[in-house]
Amino acid sequence: MTNSSTPAVPTSATQRLQRRVFEILDGAVLDGASKACEIFIATLVVANVLAIILESMHDLHEAYSAYFHMFDLVSVVVFSIEYVLRVWSYGVKYAEAPGSAWRGRKEYLFSVFGMVDFFSTVPFYLQLVFPGADLRVLRMFRLLRIFKLSRYNSAMDDMFEAIKAEKDSFSSAMFLLLISCLLFSSLIYIIEGHDQPEVFPSIPAAMHWFILTIISGWGNVDPVTYLGVVLVVVTQVLAIALAAILTGVVATAYTAQVQRREAAYETEVREVLADGVVTEEERAKLRQMQAKFGMTDEQVEAIAEQVNAERRAAGNQE
Amino acid sequence: MVNNLKLTLMEILDGSPKYKVSRYVEWLITLVVLVNCSAVILDSVPEIHAEYKDFFHELEFWSVMFFTVEYVLRVWSLGARFSAEEGGAWKGRRQYVFSPFGLVDFFATMPHYLHMFFPTLDLRILRVLRLLRILKLSKYNTALQDLFHAVHSERRAFGSAAFLLLIATIVSASLMHFAEGHEQPEFFGSIPHSIYWSIVTITSGYGNVEPVTKAGEVIALLTGFLGVCMAAIMTGIVASAFSNQLSRKKAAYQSQLRAVLADGVVSDAERAMLKKLQAQYRLSDAQVQLFIDEAQNKKK
Repeated sequence: MTNSSTPAVPTSATQRLQRRVFEILDGAVLDGASKACEIFIATLVVANVLAIILESMHDLHEAYSAYFHMFDLVSVVVFSIEYVLRVWSYGVKYAEAPGSAWRGRKEYLFSVFGMVDFFSTVPFYLQLVFPGADLRVLRMFRLLRIFKLSRYNSAMDDMFEAIKAEKDSFSSAMFLLLISCLLFSSLIYIIEGHDQPEVFPSIPAAMHWFILTIISGWGNVDPVTYLGVVLVVVTQVLAIALAAILTGVVATAYTAQVQRREAAYETEVREVLADGVVTEEERAKLRQMQAKFGMTDEQVEAIAEQVNAERRAAGNQE
Repeated sequence: MVNNLKLTLMEILDGSPKYKVSRYVEWLITLVVLVNCSAVILDSVPEIHAEYKDFFHELEFWSVMFFTVEYVLRVWSLGARFSAEEGGAWKGRRQYVFSPFGLVDFFATMPHYLHMFFPTLDLRILRVLRLLRILKLSKYNTALQDLFHAVHSERRAFGSAAFLLLIATIVSASLMHFAEGHEQPEFFGSIPHSIYWSIVTITSGYGNVEPVTKAGEVIALLTGFLGVCMAAIMTGIVASAFSNQLSRKKAAYQSQLRAVLADGVVSDAERAMLKKLQAQYRLSDAQVQLFIDEAQNKKK
C-alpha cells in the first residue's frame, strides 16, 4: 500500500476531512485512529463469520434467528458506510494531478479488496430487492467478508510474492503431476480395469483413484494383480516425491525472498553510511524498510555490523 | 532458396524468439496435444464412447495427420542444423530422431499406423501410447529440465534415502509377518505380502489392514512414524537441492556481471549476453538490479 507522498495543501475543510479519512482507512501511516479503525473492522468481520457458522446450526438458528438477523443488518450498515467512505476518500490518493479524483477511486473499485468489499455487502441489498433469491447463495457471499481481513495481513502478500518469484518451479511440479496422473491412471485402468471393473470402469475413475493415492498415500482400493501392486507401490513413492518437491520449492522460495530482502537492505545501509553521516531522515527510511520487510532487530544489527566492519577494513587499507 | 526455407523452418519449430510465428506454432501444438489427451480420457468412459465414437475416430485421424506432418517437417528441417563441414545434414536429423523428444514424437504418432497394419493389436495399449503425446509438451517446459537437474545433482542423497526406505520396508514387513502371520494369513502370510502393507503404511501413515496383536500394533505405529521421517528426509534433500541450484545460478550470473563491469564500459554485446543469461537462469529483474547495485557498491 503506497501512500501518495507529499500532501497537496488542502484548500477547504471538506478536502482536509477527505484526506484524514483516507489516511485512517488506508492505514499506510499507522496512527492511533487508523489502528483503532483496523481493529474495529477486523473484530466485526470475525464476529460476522462466527455468526454465519453458528447460524448454519439448526437449533441455534431457530432459537436466535432475530438476533442473527439484527446483527447482520447492523454489520451491513457498517460495511456499507465503510465502502462509501473508502470510495469517496480514495479520490485524494492522486490529488497532485488536478481532476484525477476518479483515478484513485477506480483503482480501489477494481482492486481485489474493492471487489471483496463490494460482493460481501451488496448481496444483502439484493435480498431486499428480490426477496425470493436463494438464501444459501447469499450466505456464501457473506462468507466473503473473511477476505476483508487479508487487507491487514501483510504476511499473505509475502507469501504470494515468494510464490510468484518461483512460479516456474511450481508450474513444472504441476506439469509433472499432470503427466504422471494421465499415465498412471491409464495404466491402472488397463491393468486392473478387467479385474475390478466396478472401481476402474474408465480413465476418469482411475484418475480419481490416482489423486486419492497422491494426497493420502492410499487410494481406498487394493490391487488384485501383481502388475497392479507394482504400479500402486510406484505411485505411492511418487506421492512422497511430489510432496517433497512442492515443499522444497516453497522452502527455497522463502529463503530466496529473505536473501533478496537482506541484500536490498544491505545496499540501503551502504548508501546511508557512504557519506559517513546518518541523518534523521535516513534513519526513518531504514526503519520503514525494516518494518516493510518484517526483519528482526538482530538481523538488522548483523547487517549493520558487517557493513561497518567492511568500512573499517577499507579505511585501514588506505 | 530451399536451404533458406529449411533454416527458417528449423528456427520456427525450435522456438527461436526471432520469429513470432514460432510462439503460435508452440500454442497450436500444445492445444492439439491437450485436446487429444482429453479425448483419450473421455473415450474410455463407456457411455461417452457409445455416443461419440465416430467423432473421436475422426479427431484421432486428423491429429495423427497433424503430428505426422510436424514430425516429417522436424526431421527434414533439422538437416540445416549442421553445415557440411560439421557433419552434414543427417547428423542433425539423427541427433533429433534419437533424442528423448524425437522418440516421444515418434511413439506418439506411430501407434495409429501400427493399428492400420496390424488390426488385431490390443486397443488398450494403443490408447496408452496415444496418451504419451502429453510428453510432447515437456519440450516447452524448461523449468522441468531444471527440476531434473536439481534432483540429479543430489542423486547420492536420494540414493541413500531410497536405500533407507528399502531397509525400513523389509524390516517392518518381516517383523509384521512374524507378529501377524498366524492371525491374518491372508494379509501377512508371506513377507512379499507384508511388504505391500509396509509401503502403504509408510507412505500414508495408515495401513490397509489393521493389526490384531499387541506386537503388531506397536510395529504398525513405528512404521507409520517412519513414514513421517522418510517424508522429512526427502523434503529436506529436495529443498537443499533447489537452493543449491539457485545459489549456483546466482554465483554464475554475478561472476559474469563482475567481468562485464570490470572495464567500466558495458557494450551492447555484453548487455545482450547478460539478458540472455538472465532469461536462461530465470532471475527476476529486481534480483538483477540488486546484483548490479551490489557490484557497483563493491567497486566504490
